[in-house]
Amino acid sequence: MAQVVITGVGLVTALGTSRETTWERLLAGETGIRGVTLFSPEGFRAKTAAQVDDKALDLSQVPPPVLAHASRASRFALAAAAEALAQAELMPEPGVSWAVVFGGGAAGLFEAEGFVERRLRLGPKARGVEAFVEVPQDAPADRVAAAWGLCGERITVTTACSSSTIAVGLGAELVRQGRAEVVLAGGADALCRLTFAGFNSLRAVDPERARPFDRRRQGLSIGEGAAVLVLESAERAAKRGARPLAAVLGLGITNDAYHMTQPEPSGSPWARTVRAALADAGMAPEDVGYINAHGTATEQNDSAEWAAYAQVFGDRLPSIPVSSVKGAIGHCLCAAGGIEAAVTALALCTGWLPPTVGCEELDPPCPLDPIPGKARRQQVEVALSSSFAFGGNSAVLVLGRAW
Amino acid sequence: MRVGIASAGVVSPAGTGLAALREALANPDFAPKLELPRPDAPPLPVVACHSFDTKGLLPPLVARRLDRASRLLAVAVREALTAFGEPLPWPREEVGVAMGTWTAGTSPLLEILQAVFQLGPDQAPPMHFPNSVANAPASQVGILEKLGGANVTFFEKQAGGLRAVAEAFRFVRSKRLKACVAGGVDEAEWLNAECFDRLRALRTATRPGFTVGEGAAALVLAPEAPVLVLGAGAAGSPCPPYLYPSTPKGLVAACHRALGDASLAPQDVDLVVSLANGSPQLAALERQALVEVFGTHRPAVLGGPSERLGEGAYSSALRLIVAFLVFAEACPVAWPAPPHLANLGFPALGELAFPPRTALVTALAGGGSAVAVLLGLQR
Repeated sequence: MAQVVITGVGLVTALGTSRETTWERLLAGETGIRGVTLFSPEGFRAKTAAQVDDKALDLSQVPPPVLAHASRASRFALAAAAEALAQAELMPEPGVSWAVVFGGGAAGLFEAEGFVERRLRLGPKARGVEAFVEVPQDAPADRVAAAWGLCGERITVTTACSSSTIAVGLGAELVRQGRAEVVLAGGADALCRLTFAGFNSLRAVDPERARPFDRRRQGLSIGEGAAVLVLESAERAAKRGARPLAAVLGLGITNDAYHMTQPEPSGSPWARTVRAALADAGMAPEDVGYINAHGTATEQNDSAEWAAYAQVFGDRLPSIPVSSVKGAIGHCLCAAGGIEAAVTALALCTGWLPPTVGCEELDPPCPLDPIPGKARRQQVEVALSSSFAFGGNSAVLVLGRAW
Repeated sequence: MRVGIASAGVVSPAGTGLAALREALANPDFAPKLELPRPDAPPLPVVACHSFDTKGLLPPLVARRLDRASRLLAVAVREALTAFGEPLPWPREEVGVAMGTWTAGTSPLLEILQAVFQLGPDQAPPMHFPNSVANAPASQVGILEKLGGANVTFFEKQAGGLRAVAEAFRFVRSKRLKACVAGGVDEAEWLNAECFDRLRALRTATRPGFTVGEGAAALVLAPEAPVLVLGAGAAGSPCPPYLYPSTPKGLVAACHRALGDASLAPQDVDLVVSLANGSPQLAALERQALVEVFGTHRPAVLGGPSERLGEGAYSSALRLIVAFLVFAEACPVAWPAPPHLANLGFPALGELAFPPRTALVTALAGGGSAVAVLLGLQR
């Protein structure tokens, strides 16, 4: 079985529309959570989110016809894919059978919501039905394949907040099994009224900003963005002289089979996911040096997540740095896992661990090392990237330092 | 490891359960009612599961908290697991769920948006939000059936159900799971259908096109089951998400990959379950693809599942169930080969001189993603 490495990363987040700006501001402990301007937040419990400055997207490498009718989510994906390919120093020949494996989220729902509002108000002749064409959750993957003429497999996983974590893991399996030479894996998600209203109705959002693992936390902040990771075999990367950022070592996927929105409080189902990922990677808990946590900042998530890690890592847990990026870039829902996998890969590559922005007073029931404040210089060899989603769809990636 | 289909369950416009599907397949004139009401306009020509009722199939309190797509899937999965036989021979934590969908979650989503736009942002009903995610049916099934293995929903428009089965096959073959419940689910929802109608994709009395369908198809994939999944393959032809591709290349490549995965030659295929859904463009792509894949070989073709029972992610998995019924039970099928293939000499299943032993099932999604799966009997 081939070892799978990441040779390029593209990022679009509320901290910046490129990998470099996102990474620099993330390490500096900044937050992209601010007042929503995409639509009016009046009447909602929270009026903040981690919104991307879409005017700053670099889409110069995308053929203009591919951008016609493209939604915000698709444009995020296209910008991230262009950046990832550039870092990997790859320019696919049209027709090449590279694969695209994405986590699918709201896709073009934000644009379609305008049509839905008019349809409900004005009846069946309401204008704007063309926005409907970008509603399918696989539209961003279709757009990326169309932009670079990619003729390989195209998979869109939709498992709520673990979607793009699973996409990265399954993308690595495509390479490992020889089903694809190169895979663009990750995902994109965009803010829309539906998710904003939904999380507000569940009272799962913090009216100010998310504070993962902080004792004052009141919930998550919704975010948006995209991540694309270029995956290929270590052998292929070496042959063409590419410098891998990190290796994808394993994937654990389980289902809590417990509740649609509540985590099982003991953390046992999530501990099972972590163990499955480590087993898939052929690793032991002792090998793990850093955890990029799901860390949503909801009361239930953070304590169940700590409990899961405590079961797997035992007394060693307080010595393992565990950080959540959701205080900085919000909870990017179906793109979150891909973004966090990209961040974890950058941490392994650079030897800098990102902080948990917003965690100032550690919650006593979650005695972790959350890297408060600013980034920490610490080289680790093996790291986890965890996602625990609605519906009990849990996924954990094991990433390793590439040599 | 050899992986196959051990059992199946279905809810379709033909009715609830495999018995209703068998009856429909045996009736050459089967044509379900085409009607889906809208709140403020005439009904649309959609094939929905009009007779579907969870009474006696799901506990009332369970049915009440599930959205329609989850109810459809829960009933289909229960039938499949009951047919397999319980208790399952594996820990339920090692049995997964892989589902494809095109439309699950639309009704709860519309309920929420209606409340937000018409009543105010703070009036969004919280109970609908968890069901507005497309993975809700698969997750609800995981919860109801206590299946704790990988639970993954695939969104690939019309091809989602077949994709889910292909990935489930790989999960079991690679030993990530001991077994997997796989298939597809879709709900008929007026806003979706109206948009397809306005985009001139929907078949009407005066216009060719596809018919939106509704239903759930569930298969239990397990090692050494009597009807084997011999291989799976996928590829794509890049095009905008809302169009079929201009060439059949992706579909051809998916078929070749499935044949390669199964170590079979095109001449080894006895039966093709047609993906035709009424769209002239899709029919033309299928015709070109099959001629390119099979050359002068003419396997039998079973037409009609997606034309008569409606298009959707569920329907690409339903086509596998039809092939499963032909193999597992020699189920009589009176539906002919579709004209675009019959005209080229592809015979109907009933014209085949011997019982088929291998079948090719394909799917092609808007946006150009193609999946192919080969089934066969244990030799």
